[in-house]
Amino acid sequence: MERHHNSVTVQRRSKTKSYRLSYRSGIGAASRLGFTPGLTARRLNTSRKAPKSNNITEKVTKEQLALLVKTEWKLSYVTPLYQFRHTQLKSYSRQLSAFIAAEKQQGLAVDVEGTQNRFRASFSLVQEMTESVDDAVTVLIQIHSKPLIARQDEPRRPVWSGWLTCINGNLEYLRSLPKDFICLPLFCSSEAGGLTSLVKSWFQQSFDCCFGPLEISHTSLQWLMALWTNCQPESSIRQLKMIWTLPVEPQLQVTYTVDAEDAWQLWSSVRKENTAGAGEENSIDIEEVMSFMQGLKGHFFRHFRLDLSAGRLNEVSTALGSAKHSGRIKFSNSKYMITTLMLLTECALLKMPI
Amino acid sequence: MDESKKRLVQRLIRRIPTKMLKTTLEKWGHLTGEQLRAMDSIQSKWALTESLLAICEENELAVKHLTELEMIYMIDNPDQGMWYAFQLTDPGDDAQSVDLMQFKEQFKSHLREIVRQVSVKIKKHTDEAVWIRIAWGDTYSRPDHLKPTYVVHYLQTPYVFVTRLNSKQKPILFQAMVLSTRYQYFKDANLSGRNLTAIRDLLMRKYQQVFPTKYPSPLTERKQTVTNPHVEREQAKPAANRLQMACEAFGGGTLPQLQSAVYKLETKFRDHTNTLMTEREEPFRCVVKFSSTNLLESLKNCASSGIASTPVTPLLSSIPLKGKNYFVITDNGPGPSSQRRQTQN
Repeated sequence: MERHHNSVTVQRRSKTKSYRLSYRSGIGAASRLGFTPGLTARRLNTSRKAPKSNNITEKVTKEQLALLVKTEWKLSYVTPLYQFRHTQLKSYSRQLSAFIAAEKQQGLAVDVEGTQNRFRASFSLVQEMTESVDDAVTVLIQIHSKPLIARQDEPRRPVWSGWLTCINGNLEYLRSLPKDFICLPLFCSSEAGGLTSLVKSWFQQSFDCCFGPLEISHTSLQWLMALWTNCQPESSIRQLKMIWTLPVEPQLQVTYTVDAEDAWQLWSSVRKENTAGAGEENSIDIEEVMSFMQGLKGHFFRHFRLDLSAGRLNEVSTALGSAKHSGRIKFSNSKYMITTLMLLTECALLKMPI
Repeated sequence: MDESKKRLVQRLIRRIPTKMLKTTLEKWGHLTGEQLRAMDSIQSKWALTESLLAICEENELAVKHLTELEMIYMIDNPDQGMWYAFQLTDPGDDAQSVDLMQFKEQFKSHLREIVRQVSVKIKKHTDEAVWIRIAWGDTYSRPDHLKPTYVVHYLQTPYVFVTRLNSKQKPILFQAMVLSTRYQYFKDANLSGRNLTAIRDLLMRKYQQVFPTKYPSPLTERKQTVTNPHVEREQAKPAANRLQMACEAFGGGTLPQLQSAVYKLETKFRDHTNTLMTEREEPFRCVVKFSSTNLLESLKNCASSGIASTPVTPLLSSIPLKGKNYFVITDNGPGPSSQRRQTQN
């Protein structure tokens, strides 16, 4: 596996690249105030592997996969969990159920065994959804609930789900963590009632961690456009759709939808010769992503004489998934999920106020 | 009681906001003063429905009376759902002489010739517009009054506006329309929006297109934190120039409220830095949709603020100029050297 710009020295050499500033703005100020030297000067990778079809369907159970791909997830980052044990999930399930019951019932006595509990939380592992050996196993949390007035035998329905993951986390950083910390920096939650905040506070209390919102930056959205478009020959993206907003009164929204095949042709025209070739070294460079974007913007400008750079890219979507600047993501095709998660893990690590 | 009547009453009460119910019922004129007062004192929608149903029984009001009530409400509140504009072309010699009575009679009979089960109601509105309500049925079912199509036609003009028409009903309506107005063809005007008045004004060129040549210093409105007379003087001229061009393209004053415009682009990709794509024969296919609460206002603002370069491209100024908001853009001519574009329908 190839790594890029992981150490400070390597990065200084490539500092001349003009993209640095825009990355910085995407990272946010917090990450620059941290203590871990490996990460403080880091920015988003300028090169990443081309997505390859990853048949996780064979490894992950059907039910888990169906849940992961059908929901639109709200993203947060989480700092490393102190003394989290992948072997204690049963106990965590009980504790979280009791915690939710206690919070919901505000001070009433709670049955810790959870037999009478309206909410039942269950922790499970999503085995094998990893990219490197250092990644901690993904943890899935589901909460089932009974309606307030229900018959004894009525089954509980799923009301909330969320998961913590780390796909191809920065090795240097993962290895620099003290022994008792588990790093699962990306937290995806379905939005339902106040359960998200309850789960977050339980994690905060139990593992001394903290959560924060994770937006998908302009650069990350462009990366996703390129990574998804790159899949077109293997798996049709159907269309490449971008939604921009322009700061005029009243606000103008521009939805720019490009035919899948034409988007791919433009993409392959901006690929550099040495990288576009097949084989192990098939990597994508940020400059290619930028040229792709420039091509799309240029074509638009030629017709409307309107500069999209003045606006903000809010949303991108293809048949493989959709991503919003506000930090919402939907994976529509499990095959290319890993690539997207690698990018998001990287974003979460960068956003963390370590 | 007739089930369809009951459902129609439920639908009407649900749709008409309580505060507008009184005036609408007054206009309808089928209720006695006492019944009106009684209706006015009721608060809940459920009770209103029950009360109106009782009144319908008492006054022997049928479905046709209820559809009239719906039309009254619709004419006063037309901005519900999408309106699509159509245009009649190639008028016959007698097209200008078609009057309301003639049109009414002919439209109904032509439509009934094609579909047996259809219920048509035609009402002339004060502003010369003829409102047509069509409830469609088919061989096996009676007209469905819950999903009526509304058509607004301005007599002696080629303009027709339609809402809630499905593709099966489209050719039927077109034929009846063409025959009863004495035109030859009926075509899509490629204009749609939620605001009927706005698309009517755009298509019929009714809105004020003022193109003043001089503007009283446009910069006075702007609040600038730092005022530097040199900078201001430097910027004033291009700013005034941009505003001038923006107004020339979209008009001054209040602009008709349009929600969106769609461009289907099938033009060649041209970029001097990208020879691979520029040499490609096939067009680059994409669709661009602009949307806003007031599209023309937003576009004008883009031009005056400099986000859009001035002069405004004909592609955007075509919206008010041609009264269209759906365009298909192709390259005019096969050669890569041709710079002109044309719009097609």
